[in-house]
Parts: sequence; structure tokens; C-alpha cells
Amino acid sequence: MMKNFSAALWAETLKVRRSKVMLFTSIGFFILPLVGGLFMIILKDPEAAKSMGLISTKAQIVGGSADWPSFFSMITQGTAIAGAFIFAIVTIWSFGREFSDRTVKELLALPTSREAMVTAKFTVVAAWTLVLTLAMFVVSLIVGALVNIPDFSSELIGNSFIDVLGSTLLNILLLPYAALLASTGRGYMPPFGFTLLTVALAQIAIVTGWGDWFPWAVPGLFSGAAGPRAELLGLHGYVIVVIASIIGLGATFYWWRTADQTK
Amino acid sequence: MSNVIETNQLTKRFGDVLAVDAINLRVGVGEIYGFLGLNGAGKTTTIRALLGMISPSEGDVKVLGQAVGPNGRGPWAQVGHLVESPSAYPELTVRENLDIARRMHAKDDAKLVDEIIEQLSLASYADRTAGTLSMGNLQRLGLARALLHNPELLILDEPANGLDPAGVIEIRELLRTLAHDEGVTIFMSSHILTEVDKLASRIGIIHEGKLIEELIAADLEKLRTRRLEIRARNLEAAKLCLNSAGYKFVMKDGTIIMDNAHAIERSDDIARILVNAGIPPTHLAVVQQNLEEHFMQLTGGVQ
Repeated sequence: MMKNFSAALWAETLKVRRSKVMLFTSIGFFILPLVGGLFMIILKDPEAAKSMGLISTKAQIVGGSADWPSFFSMITQGTAIAGAFIFAIVTIWSFGREFSDRTVKELLALPTSREAMVTAKFTVVAAWTLVLTLAMFVVSLIVGALVNIPDFSSELIGNSFIDVLGSTLLNILLLPYAALLASTGRGYMPPFGFTLLTVALAQIAIVTGWGDWFPWAVPGLFSGAAGPRAELLGLHGYVIVVIASIIGLGATFYWWRTADQTK
Repeated sequence: MSNVIETNQLTKRFGDVLAVDAINLRVGVGEIYGFLGLNGAGKTTTIRALLGMISPSEGDVKVLGQAVGPNGRGPWAQVGHLVESPSAYPELTVRENLDIARRMHAKDDAKLVDEIIEQLSLASYADRTAGTLSMGNLQRLGLARALLHNPELLILDEPANGLDPAGVIEIRELLRTLAHDEGVTIFMSSHILTEVDKLASRIGIIHEGKLIEELIAADLEKLRTRRLEIRARNLEAAKLCLNSAGYKFVMKDGTIIMDNAHAIERSDDIARILVNAGIPPTHLAVVQQNLEEHFMQLTGGVQ
């Protein structure tokens, strides 16, 4: 079933390495700690913050105070929300480009199985999003240290790392839907539309108190964006994400195995 | 295995559209099978079905003795293909694109890439990204990918697309060599009928989804037979005149047609006989029907 997976993995890695998607998603994701650092600078000096108008107002809302817990809170929540977009972009590119570049027809009648190719794509996407998250976390530590904010502790780093990594893993579990829509829609636009819709619906679900029953809201709840995780997110929330992930993965593999490829 | 390609009642519907209608194809080992049809006749749909890219609505497909699909199953290690317009990963070089194909075919020998680059005259473009290639060189890259793993069967959709005249000849000779010297079976569609005529040992004509005619080499040779065509204002008088001069002919669409070598060689005499009888021909020409003409007659279409 997974015939020649290593060849497919090599091919997908080469494609990602040569593409600009790595650069753009890195820039997109590294903006997060840089913006967080900027907010901390503003919050450290309230007088300067007042003279800066809108930006300081926003900084007050999001961060509240200039310290490591606030800074990491921003980073964790940003990972959940920005990650939903940026990780989806990597996935949409990986699957959608085969249709927009019309290269999919070169992948279908080969000794390397279609399952191996889809698995290789998911593997590379998951690996890249994890690397991106870890790199972003390291950049966050550097930015926080440079801004010189108080209340640093190793326990805080450990908890924040779990929060960031957990949000990322939950987002990764939901990526098969971006892959599925990039495949069935044979391009980029349908999955982009879907991603925007799920992020919007997740906000509504969280506000109305149903977020723990809506898979795309769970990474945000996990990050603490709406309050303490333990109060808002039970085991059922994680189970729903896992079930949604399995359905999405299954549907993506099934489509690649059976759909007529006319492009 | 008697047939490299075998379809039984291959039918494909897209909603209400019947794209391929109960096609029975048989392509033997070492054959070059030309697959002709107007745009939208069902050529590419048939090719995609042969390659397992689409599932037949009815019927079945066997390639190299193995059932094709569902789920992409097939003897793809022995098959090279080029479907529709060539495509490649634009950000990767020619060499990298071919290296992906080599690995996907589970071929360990990295030299295969260099060899095929040389064979398809792509050496000066090997380290250029595919996105910068001309249409012709992109087509060469597509052919290189199809040939890279030394397949037993080549399924090529418009292999001469985008190539310059020298390239067309070069690829024709390459395909001929592969078929004649290495026994590679070639199934190719083309809209360049003269190319198919020059290369194919058998031709299938598809029209509105149906395989309406198959021609073997002898049929093709017969198509190339010369004939003398005569038209005159007074056709009946011309017929009587030629009859009394001992010439045999047939009538077709208001034209006197003579296909015996004697008449064709003596066309000047025939013209003189008609003029002397006061029936000057309005049209007198030795013509050679070709595949294109036959195809147009058969499909009644415009390519």
C-alpha cells in the first residue's frame, strides 16, 4: 500500500525546499513574536503607549501587562489563530499546486502508490509546521530576553511550550480538510475559503460557548484564548478533533485513490 | 500475453456526456498504434482510462496483461506516459524533475537521468528550472520522463506537440527506433495526421466516442494509391468518349475516377482525347489520397 514511500518523501521534501512557501510562511509566523515584543515594549512604558494612540489601545487589550506570562499568552493564542492560517497555507500549497501546475497527471500512473504520495505530503507538511513552531518559540525566547520583561521562570517556559506545541498539534490534526478541499477543488481557492470560514465559525462557537464541540475552535480554546483551558475544554473536545482528523484523512486518501483525474 | 493493450466495451460517461462509447482496442507487442480523432472525440479520455486515471463507467482495461484500476492499480513500472500538455514542477530544474521521476519509478541508477537528458537533447537545459523552458523543451522533458525507465509500453498523447520541425523528425525517429529495435509498443494520439501516417503500423479513428475505423499498414498503403480525377461540363459525353476509347473508370461525386496505372501514366493522352472530342475537361489531375483526406471524409469534421 505504501509502496516506495521514501521516494515520495524525497520528492516532497525537494519541492518544499525549492519553493518560496518556506520563506513566506516563516516570515508570516516569525512576525508573531516580533509583534508580541513590540507590544511588550509599548506596555513597558505607559506614557509612550498613550502617545501612540491605537496601537497602545490594542496592546492593552491583548497583553495587559509587560511580563513573560502576558508575552507567552500572546504567543500561544497567536499560534492557535495564525497557525490555523499559516499551516493551512502550507497544506493547500502542497496539494493544490499539483492541480494548478497540472503535475497531478504525472503522479497517478507510477509504481509509487498514491497512498505513499499523500502520506509523504502530510508528513512533510506536519514536519514543516512543527519545525516552524519550534523555531518561532525559540525566536520568542530571544525577543522576550531582548525586550527584558520580568517574571521569567523555567516552569512558565515549560507550560508555554506545551501550550504552543499543543495548539500546533491540534491545528495539524485538522489540516486534512485543507488537503481534501485543495484536491477535490483542484486548486487553491476552495480550501482558502474553507479556512477563512472555519476560523470565523470558531470565533462564533467560542463566543457562544459551543467551542468545545466545534473542532476548529479547539486549538484556540487549548491556547487559553477564551479563558483557562481546564474550564473550557473537556476530553470530548480532543476526541472530536481526533475523529474529525481521521474522517478528513480517510476522505483525502479515498479521494486520491478513486476520484477521476481529468486535469 | 498477446495484447499489450486490451479494452473491452470501454465506456466513460461524465454526467450526461458519453465521452467514450464501448471501445474495443487491441494493441499487440511492438506495434505503433496511432489514435486519431477530432478535438473532443474521446482520445484523451481513452488514454486516461488506459492509465487508470479515470474509472470506466462500463467495460474494462488491461495493460500488459494486467487489469488497470481501480485505485490506480496497474503495471506502471513498465509503462511510460505523456498525457495532454507537458507539465513539470516549475521551480525545479530539468534534472531534478527527472530525478523525481527516476525515484518514483524505483530506479536506483542515477545515470539514467544523464542518459535520457543526452538522448532527448536536453543537456544545455539540464540545470535550468522547468518554468523557464520553451513549450518544445517542456515537451522534450515530458518525453524524457516517459522514456526514463525504459518502459515496454509508451502511451503518448500528442507527442509532437510544441516541437519544431526538426524536433518532430527527431522524436519520430526516436520512437521508430524504440519500436523497431527495442520492441517497445507505442500507443500515440496525434492531430498531426501526416506524423501518424509516417509512423504508425496501425491506426484507430475515434469519432464522438466511438472507434469508427481501424486501418492496418496495408490499408494505409492503399490510401496512398494514386488516381486520375476528371471533371467536365458535359459529363455524360466525357464518359461515353472515355468508354469508347477503352478506359475503365468509376464515378464519385460527379467526378470520373481512374485508378489503374495505365490511365494515370497516359493522363496527357486522355486529356487530348477529350479535347479532340470537343469535351475539354474542367479538371484533370493525378491525386494521391492521404490519411488526412480519408480522416476528414470519415469524420466529416474540421481539425
